[in-house]
Amino acid sequence: MRGYREREPFILGAAVIVLLIALWEAVPSLVTLSRGMALFFTTPSKVAATFWRMLVNGELNRHLYVSGLEFVVGLGLAILVGLPLGLLMGRSKTLDALLDPYVNALNATPRLVFLPLLILWFGLGIWSKIMIVFAGAVFPLLINTYVGVRNVNRVLIDVVRSFCASERQIMRIVVVPNSVPYIVAGLRLAIGRAMLGVVVGEFFGAPEGLGHVIAEAASNYVVDKVFVGVLIFMGMSLVLTMSVKKIESNLTRWRPEETKTF
Amino acid sequence: MGLGAFYDQHPRLILGVASIAVLEGAWELLLTYVVAYNPFFLTKPSLIAAAFNQQIIQGKLWKDIAISSRAFALGLALAILVGIPIGAVMGWRRRVEYALDPLLTALYASPLVALAPVLIIAFGVGLTAKAALVFLLSVFPFVFNTFAGVRATDRVLINVVTSFGGKERDLYLKVILPSTLPYIVAGARLAIGRALVGILVGEFYAASEGIGFAISQFGDTYRLAEMFSGILVLCIAAVALTEALRKLERVVAPWSAEQTSR
Amino acid sequence: MIPYIRAREIGLTFRPKNREPVRAIKGLDVEVGRGEFVTLVGPSGCGKSTFLNIVLGLLRPDTGEVQIDGRRITGPGPERAMVFQEFGLLPWRTVLANVELGLELRAVPAAERHRRSLELIQMVGLTGFERHYPHELSGGMKQRVGLARALATDPEVLLMDEPFAALDAQTRDLMQTELLQIWEKSKKTVLFVTHSIEEAAYLSDRVVIISARPGRTKEIIKIDLPRPRDYEMRLTPQFNDLKLRIWETIKEELLVRAG
Ligand SMILES: Nc1ncnc2c1ncn2[C@@H]1O[C@H](COP(=O)(O)OP(=O)(O)OP(=O)(O)O)[C@@H](O)[C@H]1O
Ligand SMILES: [Mg+2]
Repeated sequence: MRGYREREPFILGAAVIVLLIALWEAVPSLVTLSRGMALFFTTPSKVAATFWRMLVNGELNRHLYVSGLEFVVGLGLAILVGLPLGLLMGRSKTLDALLDPYVNALNATPRLVFLPLLILWFGLGIWSKIMIVFAGAVFPLLINTYVGVRNVNRVLIDVVRSFCASERQIMRIVVVPNSVPYIVAGLRLAIGRAMLGVVVGEFFGAPEGLGHVIAEAASNYVVDKVFVGVLIFMGMSLVLTMSVKKIESNLTRWRPEETKTF
Repeated sequence: MGLGAFYDQHPRLILGVASIAVLEGAWELLLTYVVAYNPFFLTKPSLIAAAFNQQIIQGKLWKDIAISSRAFALGLALAILVGIPIGAVMGWRRRVEYALDPLLTALYASPLVALAPVLIIAFGVGLTAKAALVFLLSVFPFVFNTFAGVRATDRVLINVVTSFGGKERDLYLKVILPSTLPYIVAGARLAIGRALVGILVGEFYAASEGIGFAISQFGDTYRLAEMFSGILVLCIAAVALTEALRKLERVVAPWSAEQTSR
Repeated sequence: MIPYIRAREIGLTFRPKNREPVRAIKGLDVEVGRGEFVTLVGPSGCGKSTFLNIVLGLLRPDTGEVQIDGRRITGPGPERAMVFQEFGLLPWRTVLANVELGLELRAVPAAERHRRSLELIQMVGLTGFERHYPHELSGGMKQRVGLARALATDPEVLLMDEPFAALDAQTRDLMQTELLQIWEKSKKTVLFVTHSIEEAAYLSDRVVIISARPGRTKEIIKIDLPRPRDYEMRLTPQFNDLKLRIWETIKEELLVRAG
């Protein structure tokens, strides 16, 4: 059996989370909430019960499907546009100079500001959400690909060129492999942005989707339902982020140092 | 100096400016002479400029900007005051890191913006809820970057200072602070983006004033030029803040090459 | 006799953006016979790497031309390969895949590629490390991979730009001796660059001394020592005389620069 020392990180980390949940559960029996507060207050056990009920009666299925669809299509489009554009901008100085002002300005600005415009253009259905997911996710992918291409060691390109490689072979053999860890790190960021797009996009007048569930429940003050939505979003983000981190650590096998991006 | 020579020296600047000018010009000309457009759906640069003049130069939007800025500043200040100490203690004490890291990492990876409706139920529509949302979104970059900065402090430097008879205070002021500061400033750059998201969501979702409210209001009433001028203001503010922090990064860490992440 | 590699009146000026042009080399003449081992030495920044890159075909000279076997070169070619100073190994490829690079680009079938690469890995003494990644190797091992990669395509001409500069002194001695053995077996034409006078005198048939920037040929010293050479030869008076001669010629150039 391993000693406490080795497992201390896990034990302490888990203890804090369990303690917080327990504390939250215990609030109503520890303090008397005011009448108004009591109406809106919910506890983890109530949230869990509501989650279970919604899962069993199939209430969630449709919403999960719609949110998932928006996420996947938006992120897919972002990958289809971001990666090639990042590669091209990294390899062509002219294209870089032409597009840099837009990329820089749009990347600094939260793309959520375009949500009203996108709703105006694409309506309240899934396309306005797909577009806001796309707008959020495309820049981390584009910029990380670009940085990966730019950071390629010149000597490596010389080596490959010295064996008579064509520009396409240089791309395939040096530039693309060099960018992969950057692209995966960009994907991790993009997943967060895409999730944000789904949540916020669905807050506003969407007819379905998890964000809609949250917004509707909130306007009816059904707080446990709000938390069900929030927890599903959290769970999905965690699973996706962890999977990408796993891919990252596998990919960096050939790298002596960890790539750490905050 | 001839134009050719000027181009040779600043190709990026010239190409960037040219690319913006050509895009704006083409947009304007296309909608003026070629395409008969629906003004409830599209607008053009000259109309945006007029709206910008009316809203910003003549000050109709300033009240909203001021209101948003207050929530922004309040939430961000709170995030700094809370985030930096937590990050520092996590960096300095292993046990605290073990206890808090899983919880905070999970929260950082989650779309916490989904909690916006809960905050609005709890705090009501207005400054408090918005500031709380800004705080919730922007505190994590401060925590994790301060943590990383303290952790990255060179042990050797600490030994050097102690061996010269430095006191605990010297350690903090001469070693830990200077080596952590660049990380904190880099964190602030990330935090600003997230704080702006908080403002926008808070004001899109439930507000009667503020820049986000104004933008969504213009959208609802099909005043596209005004909406674009609002977007432009936010874009300018975001770029200005980001660039200022990038400058600051160079000031506090002139020895480190510019960060590649944007 | 027509030399195998003939570089005449080579001149090249770098024109970096926003900065003053740098005249790297001017009037450089180098001739190398078939199977000869020629070393370039000269002060730092005199254009040795630039010249090798011209011979490799990565850079185009402003004046003059390089001919190999009577044909003017216009770009990289299969008869030339370079061993790079900083190794230039692809970090995401294993040792085997790195050695295979040149053959792969030459569309050699996979089986043949494998066979040939394993042969060379054995020749440079890296058997057992085929599946390792570059970051798992020591500096000396990385440079062996670089050598094996260059030899894999069986080039007539081997260009080597300070290949052993990043190695510790003992590994370096070892690699020099191994290089000589490989060269004597394969009879390749070698154009070598180094800062070490000892290394130049030990390896070469002739040493070309290049002036301070802009580089041009200053003197050619013939190393009339018997082959095969070994470590003991470095302790002979003839060897030391040659080293002194090279040193004195270079010293003038270093003084030109300092003065
Ligand atoms: N791409 C480039 N752009 C501008 N200047 C360059 C470039 N490459 C080399 N130079 C300049 O040309 C000169 C010759 O460079 P080169 O690398 O050939 O020298 P070298 O003899 O190999 O030096 P060392 O012995 O230090 O390796 C140097 O002054 C260098 O600064
Ligand atoms: Mg050199």
